[in-house]
Amino acid sequence: MNLLSFLSMLILAITLLTMVFGVIAYFLYKAREKKKSVDSITYDQALEEENRDLLFFVKD
Amino acid sequence: MVGVLQKILFLFVMIAGLWLTYYSVNNLQQIYIEATSAFMKFAVVLIFIFTMLIITRYLILMFFSILQMIKRTADDSLHISTHDVVTIIVPAYNEEDVIIPSLNGVINQTYPNIEIIVIDDGSKDRTYELAKTFEFDDGERSLKVISKVNGGKSRALNYGIERAKGNLICCVDADSKLDSYAIELLVQHFKDPQIAAVAGSISVINTDTFITKLQALEYIQGLNMVKNAQAYVKLVNIIPGPLGMFRKEAMKKVGYYAHDTFAEDCDLTLSLIAHGYKIEFEPDAVAYTEAPENLLDLLKQRYRWTRGILQAIKKNKSFLWQPLKKPTISFVMWYMLFESVFWPFMQIWGDIFMITLALTSGASQFLLFWWIMFTVLDIAGAIYCLLITKEKLSLAAYSIIYRLAFITVINIAKIFATIEEWFNIKMGWGKLERKGRIG
Repeated sequence: MNLLSFLSMLILAITLLTMVFGVIAYFLYKAREKKKSVDSITYDQALEEENRDLLFFVKD
Repeated sequence: MVGVLQKILFLFVMIAGLWLTYYSVNNLQQIYIEATSAFMKFAVVLIFIFTMLIITRYLILMFFSILQMIKRTADDSLHISTHDVVTIIVPAYNEEDVIIPSLNGVINQTYPNIEIIVIDDGSKDRTYELAKTFEFDDGERSLKVISKVNGGKSRALNYGIERAKGNLICCVDADSKLDSYAIELLVQHFKDPQIAAVAGSISVINTDTFITKLQALEYIQGLNMVKNAQAYVKLVNIIPGPLGMFRKEAMKKVGYYAHDTFAEDCDLTLSLIAHGYKIEFEPDAVAYTEAPENLLDLLKQRYRWTRGILQAIKKNKSFLWQPLKKPTISFVMWYMLFESVFWPFMQIWGDIFMITLALTSGASQFLLFWWIMFTVLDIAGAIYCLLITKEKLSLAAYSIIYRLAFITVINIAKIFATIEEWFNIKMGWGKLERKGRIG
């Protein structure tokens, strides 16, 4: 395999991996934001979301 | 001697980039001739259009940027004028880690006639207490801190503008630190009554990690090539949040900051251009800002920027279809649409096409030349920008990683953000947590 073919394969592999990595990174970011928003919910907000039904918190 | 060698290096890289473009286009022609399916022919035509658009954009921006540099060097009309009162507004929400250096930067301005208003937007930390220790009034200069119920950045800015005495308003992010000459340099542009706003230059302060170095390079290129070129026609399309100065009268005319987009700075700039005002850029008025230090924070920032810009475009979309009636704003809107939507889609589409071509026909060398062509052009652009800003030339080497991985990851996030904006998926402000690097 000559140098040009090797570099071509290398760039091909990096481009493919970067695209897969980019998609994974985006979904990781979305998952982190979702988790953050769930963690930061207040008692009042939770009550509102549950339509004022009673909420029970269990501490382990 | 070093300067001459650097300029020769720039010319050499530029010529190499253009030669590679010629080579790649020739290759494309060959692929088109050999293509058997209509789909493949169509894909090749798209890639050809994409390549031509990129090269044209690149050359036009560089050409206007060079013209602007020449114009600035030849222009001796900048006189120091200090009679205008400038009100600096610093909206702050949970900025206890950065508020002290930020206010120090605002107070240490060389411009004498300033009024500083810090708007604490209902912070839950010690921002208000810390800012309060800076309060003073010596007759010529003053700093006051006002606290209000949390309502978002645009409302905080408008709250400050309503209370401003100055006829010039300078909006500064609380997580940025101003260079001491920033206000003085920005004020000089307002002698021209057509100028409604002047964008400041942004510099990344925390360039100690790989990801922040890439962003530093991106800022240097974005400002010195794109904003400089836009400044030649006085149509800078976004006044950055960390530093921008506005004529209060013009802001009033367009209704100040709007609250219905996540890019209030972009929205306001578009409204000013739509009203026939001109927008300038001052490269020497610098605000130092902290760039995100990890990839997920960076994606969060770019996601918000993309959706904010798209919201501003959507809001003003009627101007897109008025190229004869309102040519200036129509042109600016199309340009923004190109940069924020077409560009990321085209880049990812180009990559997918090249990968498919390589995997199906074995023509992987074309992908290599395609990549080298853009990387060489990126390096040429980086060298040009680093030369005019006198930054370290070694940053140009990061263009390789910039093209190889960085821009692809960012563009994928932009594409997802565009899709989510299209489907109106709910989003929040997404405040970045600062590490306090501007101190």
